[in-house]
Amino acid sequence: MRGTLIYVSQRLVLIAVTTVLVSSIVFLLLHQIPGNAFLNETRQNQQSIAAQMHYYGLDLPLPTQYINWVTGVLHGNLGESLVNRGVQITPLLVRETSVSATVGFFALLVTIGLGLILGVVAALRQNTWVDYIASSASVVGYSIPSFVIAIFGLLIFGHYLFIWTGGSFFYQPGWGKLEQIPVPALALGLPYASYVARLTRASMLETIRTDYVRTAWAKGLKARVVVLRHALRNALIPVVTILGPLVTGIITGSVVIENIFGIPGLGKEFVTSILARDYNIVIGVFTFYAALVGLANLSVDVIYPILDPRIRY
Amino acid sequence: MAQPAPLAPEVELAYEMPEQVTLLSDAWRRIRRNRLALVGLVIVTVLFIVALISIVWTPYPTWLQAVGPTYEPPSLKHLLGLDQAGRDIFSRIMGGALITIEVGVGSAIIVSLIGIPLGLMAGFYRGAVDTVISFFINIWYGIPDLLVALILVFVLSDALHLIPRGVVVIIIAFSLTRWMDVARLVRGQALSLREREFVEAARMSGARDFSLLLRHIFPNALGPIIVQSTFAIPAAVLFEAFLSFLGLGLPSPTPSWGAMAADGYHGMDFAPHIVLAPTIALSLTLMAFNWVGDGLRDAFDPRMRR
Repeated sequence: MRGTLIYVSQRLVLIAVTTVLVSSIVFLLLHQIPGNAFLNETRQNQQSIAAQMHYYGLDLPLPTQYINWVTGVLHGNLGESLVNRGVQITPLLVRETSVSATVGFFALLVTIGLGLILGVVAALRQNTWVDYIASSASVVGYSIPSFVIAIFGLLIFGHYLFIWTGGSFFYQPGWGKLEQIPVPALALGLPYASYVARLTRASMLETIRTDYVRTAWAKGLKARVVVLRHALRNALIPVVTILGPLVTGIITGSVVIENIFGIPGLGKEFVTSILARDYNIVIGVFTFYAALVGLANLSVDVIYPILDPRIRY
Repeated sequence: MAQPAPLAPEVELAYEMPEQVTLLSDAWRRIRRNRLALVGLVIVTVLFIVALISIVWTPYPTWLQAVGPTYEPPSLKHLLGLDQAGRDIFSRIMGGALITIEVGVGSAIIVSLIGIPLGLMAGFYRGAVDTVISFFINIWYGIPDLLVALILVFVLSDALHLIPRGVVVIIIAFSLTRWMDVARLVRGQALSLREREFVEAARMSGARDFSLLLRHIFPNALGPIIVQSTFAIPAAVLFEAFLSFLGLGLPSPTPSWGAMAADGYHGMDFAPHIVLAPTIALSLTLMAFNWVGDGLRDAFDPRMRR
């Protein structure tokens, strides 16, 4: 327990350092750009542009700006939007993170739930039609990008379902209602679910042929106990090792999904603010993403020893 | 063939020589038995041929608008129909194949050019060199690579005008954020190969570090390197499609599949063919490269060897 605590705090420090370091690079990159966010507002004269620059502290020398920004970040203050004056970035992003996290959580549920079920069933019914269907679905599924699945989802659930049911039951893009969660979550989760299914099937096939599983069958345990407690728990170990990249993939994948389905999360903000040249928000969103990816990887690493007691910190 | 021979050397000659097996011919023999990989290989070959043809000929120029009514569904004259600007989708799919190949193969090459030397040095010299390179690899794994690449594309092309927005800037952005897969793999290979006897022997006979790396360690790590580089192709293709779909990738008249999907996305309710063609082409391509990659991995995997 003590070891875990020390390990977690070390990792937290490393995550903080990485986040600040990486967003510093983005900060410096974006501040190399000639011109500024206000030049596209043609009505403005030189004086008012200078006033804007002064308001945001953009007329200070770069090192001073950088120190101000790092001080702000360490105090949890990411500054103000360049386009919508007066909008504080930190509370805005915290709100959007909760939206993104909701989508991500359900996508992860799809990924792990569906992936494990398909993988286990395919392994238990090896070389039957169930196995063939599940295996071919996963061989195809993990190559189809999530935005393609999203487009097909919109077409099927948004358009054709509307026609078939005469407009009484269909998916409407947007956010805020419970029934708007499943389609984006499926689109985001399905490619990874196929990957998990492939891995689970392979490692289940190996595990159900081991001596201890045969022993478990031989001493008359119920199928549920043998499969879930003896076979699956050991088969899960290789699956758990890909959880880190998987969570990172779902977090970054949400950028395009949120834009397609009109979900007001971090990803939508990121693309909108890049297109609007709102650099303060771009850096802010990026800082949030870097921290999120770090924390997600950390929580995966903390789960390892629970599933595989051989791993200790 | 065997015949009683009076002299020892002739006895040896009398044995039937086993078929000579090189790394590549061995891999080819095993990949031929993998049906999925073969299907993938066929699709990839078709993709390459279509891409090559599109350089010299497409039914209509990919940028030419209003060759017929806009949103026209597929017909004999226009096999995949026309898009919202009246451009021939079949021609644009062909042009998109070339872009896809350029992005995929270009990225795989650059990623290898960055990753192989770094990995070789880290694994071979160990110590401080390894510490520094491994530190960067680990840091790079901790960041949302897709977003950094996206910002890089934006900064390099739109903001600084260093490189015109096009295939090159996408390849650079992708490679700068995804070099560590190859580097980490090569590092592991170099770490284990440097302890082997043949490296020891070469060192004893006076080989310099450079020739040890280039002539003894690198060729023996070639199999896994090829596999890893193959998997960089679908990743880069997906990255380009993702960027172009969001409107941050290749600019408008370029027939990128991602951009074409974004074009059709808005008219999806009444003209689904515009969005279907590029997304299906993209999915097929990604599938094919992944299957070939899986096949290569099985073919080069020493544990599977008989």
